[in-house]
Amino acid sequence: MSWRQIFAIVRRDLRLVARARAVVMPLVIVPLIFFVVFPIGAVLAIRAGGEALTELQPLIAMLPAEMAASLGPPPLERQLLVYLLEYQFASFFLLVPLMVCAVIAADSFAGEKERKTLEALLYTPTSDRELYLAKLLGPWLAAIGVSLFSYVVYLVIANALAAGDVGRPVAITSLWMLTVFWLGPAVGAMAISILVVVSARVRGFQEAYQLGGAIVLPVVALVVGQLAGAVVLDARLAAVLGLIVWLVAAAILYVASRGFRRERLLRQV
Amino acid sequence: MSAVLEARALTRRFGDVTALDDVSFAIPAGQVVGLLGHNGAGKTTTIRLLNGLLAPTEGDVRTLGLDPGTNGPSVRARTGVLTETPSLDDRMTARESMTFWADMWNVPRPNVERRVTELLDRFELADRADDRVGGYSRGMRQRLALARTLVHDPPVLFLDEPTAALDPIAALGVRDLVRTLAAGEQRTVLICTHNLVEAQELCDRVIILRRGRVVADGSPSEVVHAAALPVGVEIEVDPEHSAAALSIASEISADRATLGAGGAIAIEGMARDAVPQLVRRLVASGAEVYRVSPRQATLEDAYVALYGNEDAA
Repeated sequence: MSWRQIFAIVRRDLRLVARARAVVMPLVIVPLIFFVVFPIGAVLAIRAGGEALTELQPLIAMLPAEMAASLGPPPLERQLLVYLLEYQFASFFLLVPLMVCAVIAADSFAGEKERKTLEALLYTPTSDRELYLAKLLGPWLAAIGVSLFSYVVYLVIANALAAGDVGRPVAITSLWMLTVFWLGPAVGAMAISILVVVSARVRGFQEAYQLGGAIVLPVVALVVGQLAGAVVLDARLAAVLGLIVWLVAAAILYVASRGFRRERLLRQV
Repeated sequence: MSAVLEARALTRRFGDVTALDDVSFAIPAGQVVGLLGHNGAGKTTTIRLLNGLLAPTEGDVRTLGLDPGTNGPSVRARTGVLTETPSLDDRMTARESMTFWADMWNVPRPNVERRVTELLDRFELADRADDRVGGYSRGMRQRLALARTLVHDPPVLFLDEPTAALDPIAALGVRDLVRTLAAGEQRTVLICTHNLVEAQELCDRVIILRRGRVVADGSPSEVVHAAALPVGVEIEVDPEHSAAALSIASEISADRATLGAGGAIAIEGMARDAVPQLVRRLVASGAEVYRVSPRQATLEDAYVALYGNEDAA
């Protein structure tokens, strides 16, 4: 296995992504909205909520006892802050690795075809396996990087805004650790696995990205379900979900790897 | 001398389509070989098979003594391929691209910068080395793609239409480069080209493919000779008498005379001993005969004769 070649492809792919405005914009805008704009808006809304906050009391009442206990004692404003910043935003967080992987994998696989640069890559002395691994690693490492950066930014903002009210540091919990380091990377791997399959059947980046965009739906369902009180993403669920997503992603990637042969790729040149 | 590139009864099918059919050749080191044929004749498939990108349906293929099917990375580590389209990333600079390719071919790290600079200089891209390739002209892109094929100093080169996008001076430079690479540095070069004048001038040997089969293989002069083309004559007379001269030439040559764009009359397959009679008749008609010259058959003539009109691209 030639790691020099693998990382040369990873570096090149990420450099190309960094120079494509259509690709970079979602990578900047989505984390900015979810981890800067939304937390600020949410905290300010809770602080300004006053009496209206009592309408959210049923949401807290519906939570499992263990989770409700983790919100601490009243006042309600404090409990809502903990719920939003420590639970609700954890599910938002999954959108980051998902979106980063989808965008970069679409550019890396389908975009390569569109730019007609694939053939030269096939003539390099890499094996099919090295090429495949390099193409998977680029989006995944980028997703991990953007996710970690987003989490750090979120920690700073959430704690600056709410640590005083909550009386302890926020969003440094087992759920967040599992989301950032276990479930998030798994969701990213899943996104790549689906984009690999989609990209083999389309001609360009936009088409791959649009078709692959459907993969956000399960996460959106989780977010909406959590807002409606139907699902609660806690540490246990994050651990189990992470395992399932890793296994599914691994299975799809394994099947896709069997189709990742130079001969097949040449048909797309 | 052992063959650097070798095909034995090589056949490749794509479904019902036979791209290569029982092709055999052996190319020794240091030869410049032109692989000629219409689009779809099997040229690109041959290059892909020789580099292990495709597997043969039947037959054997060897590159540098290795089976590309089982030793693909080892084969490709020692070959350089100029693809038909330059296959360059518009968002990268020439220097970044070359550094990337140097990494891909495992050029020793301490040598990468020197090698990249050397090639950018050699292909006259040094001034724009830090500009993104998206802003390059077609000729510059082609030169960069050529530089890429040499980044790892391979003993075997495959060049698909190397002068296609180049101006005449740049094309001349590439032809000189190919000669240097082959004769001076003992590299084997396989060129796919539709430019038959270039092939005749540059290649030690040409292999003509038609519908996946080899229909001619030899030096350009051998291929021309083997095509047994009739020798022609070209006659230039004063413009006022060109129509009358054409009529006389047609009568003597059994309608094998044509009037060329420059006003010269070309006569295919004219017997040598008929020439004095023709000149006498022309002079008697009052025409001023400026020139009578034999017209040697070219590789282009042989190619056209081998292909006829049925496969016109």
